[in-house]
Amino acid sequence: MDLAFLIATMERLLAGVPLTLELSALSISTGAAIAVLFAVLRTSSRVGEWLVRAYVYMLRGTPLLLQIFLIYYGLAQFAAVRESLLWPFLREPFWCALLALTLNTAAYGSEIVRGGLQSVAQGAIDAGRAAGMSRLLLYRRIVLPLALRQALPAYGNEMIAMVKSTSLASIVTLMELSGIAYAVISETYRAFETFLCAGSIYLAINFLIARGIAWAEHRLNPHLRPAA
Amino acid sequence: MDLGGYFTLIGFGPTGWGDQLLAAALMTLAVSASAFFASLAFGLVGAAAKLAPSAPLRWLAEAYTTIFRGVPDLLVIYLFYFGGSQALSALGHLFGHAGFLGLNAFMVGTLAVGLVAGAYQTEVIRGAYFAIPPGEIEAARAVGMGRLLMLRRITGPRALRFALPGMGNVWQQVLKESALISVTGLAEILREIHIGAGSTHLPFDFYVTGFFLYLALTTLSGFLFRGAEAWTMRAERRPA
Amino acid sequence: MSTPAAISVRDLHKRFGANEVLKGVSLEAQAGEVIAIIGASGSGKSTLLRCISLLEVPDEGSVAIAGEAISLRTRRGRREPADRAQVNRIRASLGFVFQSFNLWAHMTVLENVIEAPVHVQRRPRREAIAEAEVILKKVGMVEKRHAYPAHLSGGQQQRAAIARALAMRPKALLFDEPTSALDPELVGEVLRVIRSLAEEGRTMLIVTHEMAFAAEVSDRAIFLDAGRIEEEGPPAQVLRDPSSERCRQFLLRYINR
Repeated sequence: MDLAFLIATMERLLAGVPLTLELSALSISTGAAIAVLFAVLRTSSRVGEWLVRAYVYMLRGTPLLLQIFLIYYGLAQFAAVRESLLWPFLREPFWCALLALTLNTAAYGSEIVRGGLQSVAQGAIDAGRAAGMSRLLLYRRIVLPLALRQALPAYGNEMIAMVKSTSLASIVTLMELSGIAYAVISETYRAFETFLCAGSIYLAINFLIARGIAWAEHRLNPHLRPAA
Repeated sequence: MDLGGYFTLIGFGPTGWGDQLLAAALMTLAVSASAFFASLAFGLVGAAAKLAPSAPLRWLAEAYTTIFRGVPDLLVIYLFYFGGSQALSALGHLFGHAGFLGLNAFMVGTLAVGLVAGAYQTEVIRGAYFAIPPGEIEAARAVGMGRLLMLRRITGPRALRFALPGMGNVWQQVLKESALISVTGLAEILREIHIGAGSTHLPFDFYVTGFFLYLALTTLSGFLFRGAEAWTMRAERRPA
Repeated sequence: MSTPAAISVRDLHKRFGANEVLKGVSLEAQAGEVIAIIGASGSGKSTLLRCISLLEVPDEGSVAIAGEAISLRTRRGRREPADRAQVNRIRASLGFVFQSFNLWAHMTVLENVIEAPVHVQRRPRREAIAEAEVILKKVGMVEKRHAYPAHLSGGQQQRAAIARALAMRPKALLFDEPTSALDPELVGEVLRVIRSLAEEGRTMLIVTHEMAFAAEVSDRAIFLDAGRIEEEGPPAQVLRDPSSERCRQFLLRYINR
């Protein structure tokens, strides 16, 4: 194998890593906040439940790439959008991709958080109510901490899926990791070597996330570890 | 967006895109089904390797699932689209063929999406195998069944019942991932929608149409899988 | 009337669907009084306690704690508290001990104990910890204060849960079958703690199946049957020589078990 080519390719690809990480971090963190909000909204009222269910159904039932196109190309059809205050954002591929990624992961994430909420023991909630906690305090101190601990492993998988999904941003011209990989392949026609380089960078990122989640699980769940 | 005009646009009239969209939807279904069956084959082999006594086989299967679950599908598609032609052309040169050879887009989609989904399928099948109560396997041994007969009569059908919900998820994933094959030019839904959006300057109309086309496909096939699940669960239900 | 009753319940009704669990229960607990509540499962004992701390909203009747009536209203055919803040304030003045402990799994014993004092009553953390340690010493759990519930025996968990209830400086304590979920050999350690609290002169309602214990610690015993108070009086009478036939039969079944 051509080592010089691999090194040169690696150098080019690494330049795309910051953008990949930026898209991942922003969409995962914002998406998680919305996911928690939606999961709570879903349990709080009938209307909320149906709105969130419809949202989750639509976003999980369609391809992410189509969602990106719908926002990036589709919205521009309307003069109202083009003349709105949001246009400086909505004409930028970065913000469109980020918006689609965030809305998408919020749908998957809210289902994961919902599973976590359902796992919280009724007794723990009763004890909080009996201690005079308000609804907000009960959520903040008891329900959400327990639910999020429960949801963490599944959410780790969702984070890894999101890192992979940021590659779709390259199709709306963003030069993140996959965008650069595409450029290298179409210049050199050396798909194997480029795949090797880009793939190992993604694997490394996802390995670190998996380790991070395992570490967080270990830190947050001393009650599940054998007593010291 | 006026509705009358919209329905003319996506309808089957002389100026409508109905024919193309219908053909595209069938193409999406065809390539998804093809990739799904490929994923079943990869998944069976992967699961068999993960359950194998030989350590190298297990490592190989582990490497397979780690790589294809950790790398974006888009890169895998590029690998097969460009790499396939790279390999085929090299092979062609070997046999004196001077020109450019490539895998066709349908094959690329089947292989790439099938391999990625196969990594997930491996875990689904492996999990289903472990879900079979060991007592049932012992009972099959006790009546003198050989490995193959047991697989065909007992463990196979039982594993299928435990695997079906997971396989349903993989199918949904395949159906959505098939949209990525549009980058190879295969005339499936997203590709046709993209072309329609570009040539009519009505991108929103087209993308929303695509949105609901996919939604219809995922919803309908979801029903089918749930029906199949109910059928395999018939032994677990109480008689009515 | 000089001082109002610590707990006053009037004509309490509670239905779950078609099933009427409480059919008009009235009771008063004076400050310092210990009341044992006995009865078969399904007689409404737990529901009565849960209604007092508004974990269940009664369909009819009223509950007053230290003379303050909890205000309820009817909305879209359902009874609900008129003032959530009042309910939370009143709950914080009652210590509730559950059958299944219900410690918060993600917090240590000490964190469980100081949780409500710090976050509900907004007392300074340092002060709450100092007080918690005194209470934990009293229930024999101070060495285990940094342990998580999952690492404790049932008896230890229940003693921690009692400490959690005490940390609120409650006006009254409500015990909902505090030893029913425990292995027999762990019952004694929990009963000892409850007995010492009775001796301190605390106001307590204890739902229990431990008849000997009930006879020993309580000032008054109540026998609930099918949602009504069937018999009420000094424990020696209710638990040893009841006048009601139902109560006699209930006790017989208990002794023969």
